[in-house]
Amino acid sequence: MSVGRKARTIDWILVIVAAVLAFIFIYPVLFALMSAFKSNGDILRAPAAPPTSFYTQNFVDLFQMSDFGTAIVNTIFLTVVSECLIICIVPMAAYAIERRRSRFTGFLYTFFIAGMMVPFHLYMFPLFREMKVFGIFGTMAGPIVSYIAGSISFGTLLYCSFLKGIPLEIEEASVIDGCTPFQTFWKITFRLLGPCNASMVILNGLGIWNDYLMPYLVLPSGRAKTITVEIAGFVGQFTARWDIVFAGTIISIVPALAIFCAFQKYFVKGITAGAAKG
Amino acid sequence: MLGRKSRIDKTLVAFISPALVFYLLFIIVPTVGSLYYSFTSWDGINPNVNFIGLANYKEIVTSARFGNALKNTVVLTVFISLFENAIALALAILVDRVFKLKNLFRSLFYIPVLISGIVSGFIWKVMYNYSFGVINAMLKSAGLEALMQDWLGNTHLTLIMIGIVLVWKGAGYYMIIYLASLQSISSDILEAAEIDGASAWHKFTKITLPLISGAFTINFTLSLINGLKVFDQINVMTDGGPGFTSETLVYLLYKVGFNEGRQGFGTAVGVVLLVIILVLNTLQQKFLRKREVQV
Repeated sequence: MSVGRKARTIDWILVIVAAVLAFIFIYPVLFALMSAFKSNGDILRAPAAPPTSFYTQNFVDLFQMSDFGTAIVNTIFLTVVSECLIICIVPMAAYAIERRRSRFTGFLYTFFIAGMMVPFHLYMFPLFREMKVFGIFGTMAGPIVSYIAGSISFGTLLYCSFLKGIPLEIEEASVIDGCTPFQTFWKITFRLLGPCNASMVILNGLGIWNDYLMPYLVLPSGRAKTITVEIAGFVGQFTARWDIVFAGTIISIVPALAIFCAFQKYFVKGITAGAAKG
Repeated sequence: MLGRKSRIDKTLVAFISPALVFYLLFIIVPTVGSLYYSFTSWDGINPNVNFIGLANYKEIVTSARFGNALKNTVVLTVFISLFENAIALALAILVDRVFKLKNLFRSLFYIPVLISGIVSGFIWKVMYNYSFGVINAMLKSAGLEALMQDWLGNTHLTLIMIGIVLVWKGAGYYMIIYLASLQSISSDILEAAEIDGASAWHKFTKITLPLISGAFTINFTLSLINGLKVFDQINVMTDGGPGFTSETLVYLLYKVGFNEGRQGFGTAVGVVLLVIILVLNTLQQKFLRKREVQV
């Protein structure tokens, strides 16, 4: 930034503009946060006003009137199990594609990436029928296998672009030392992929955490499904009790926010690497 | 390194097959299956599927409901792509230029991206509410009662109001991509232009814009494809209504498939959606990518 009086004023104006825009951007989130700690009467009477006291009855009601605890457990289970399996499967495939260049792996790369264009809504009906054939419709395995399959396109893009930056010499040395390809991958390369794994788990996990249609349609009805599905259900069911729904939205948002605050740079890395041309 | 020549195939198969099996079984097989079902009168329950030829596609061409859904999809997608990119680019330039708190601003603009489609739809649905919504409350306290209205109930506004939620939720994502692209422009080029006497406007239009055209191509394509796939917000905010005013292709597909037991017709709508995405992608490759500049 150049020094001088005029430039300084402009700099401060830009900061103020950014601050105002940032406030507008996070206002809906603040609004949800404030509403979660207000009684239903206060939400209706004075929607813009901040809560007057630390009112937590909404959360008590939420857990009493619904099986939200089960929904939280289910959401964590789906996210964690899917991500563990994804991390075992996807980097290995990308590694083979990237390190063993041939017409076949070149085709596989394009074939995997092309999946990004296929909308889930197109193939969901046949997918559910297939799940019924395998006996996994109505179980947690249904969404999990579909999440794994759905992560391969973006994962291939992300891991292949990251692998280009890992020098071959290290792997060659380990082969000379007598490591099998599996050992070389898991003991050497996989550890160097740490930041890439973090980006993958975070970005993909957020998608699973927030997913709606799949758990809504696949998991058995009559029981709590996931956080997002429960909230969508509340909107219809508790039309007069926004306070309860807001308590639920906070439980959905806060973990995502906490992960974002802790691992910000992996969000940025993942998004920019994923946007790089394949 | 994947081993010596004699072992190459075995190793390659071992590394790739888990991913390939999942991808084939749960993406490719159902996708091909949907092409097949689009020629049937499948209801989703009956195990016997009747082949009816092109009847679903004939219905697509003639049905007013499909035409309406297509129109809504185009309006919503174009609105989202234009505003998401305009706002994302403006925010990226702003964050790039701000001399303090860069990371904080970048994070704050990104926060809406973290929120699920359902939750964002619910929050805005409450804010849009006629009697108890915060937007009407603010208009009232500002003395602008004339502007107060039922934001989602006004059929002229419904789609735009849903579009606003998506722009708000998506802009931060594209901002990150624009920002990375802006930060990759070497300051030498801009300084050289300054020495040559280029104005700020010229520097922006002649140097910055051409150099971020790659990010522009990616963001425009991503936002178009994501715009075509919007579902959660419509589901929670309007359920496709009032009437059919916010029923998009994806929503039509869902409704005929699950509420009306016509999954054959639903998959045919899905196939049309895929064709639209493929066409957009090809156009992007042909036109936008040509204009990109590399340094």
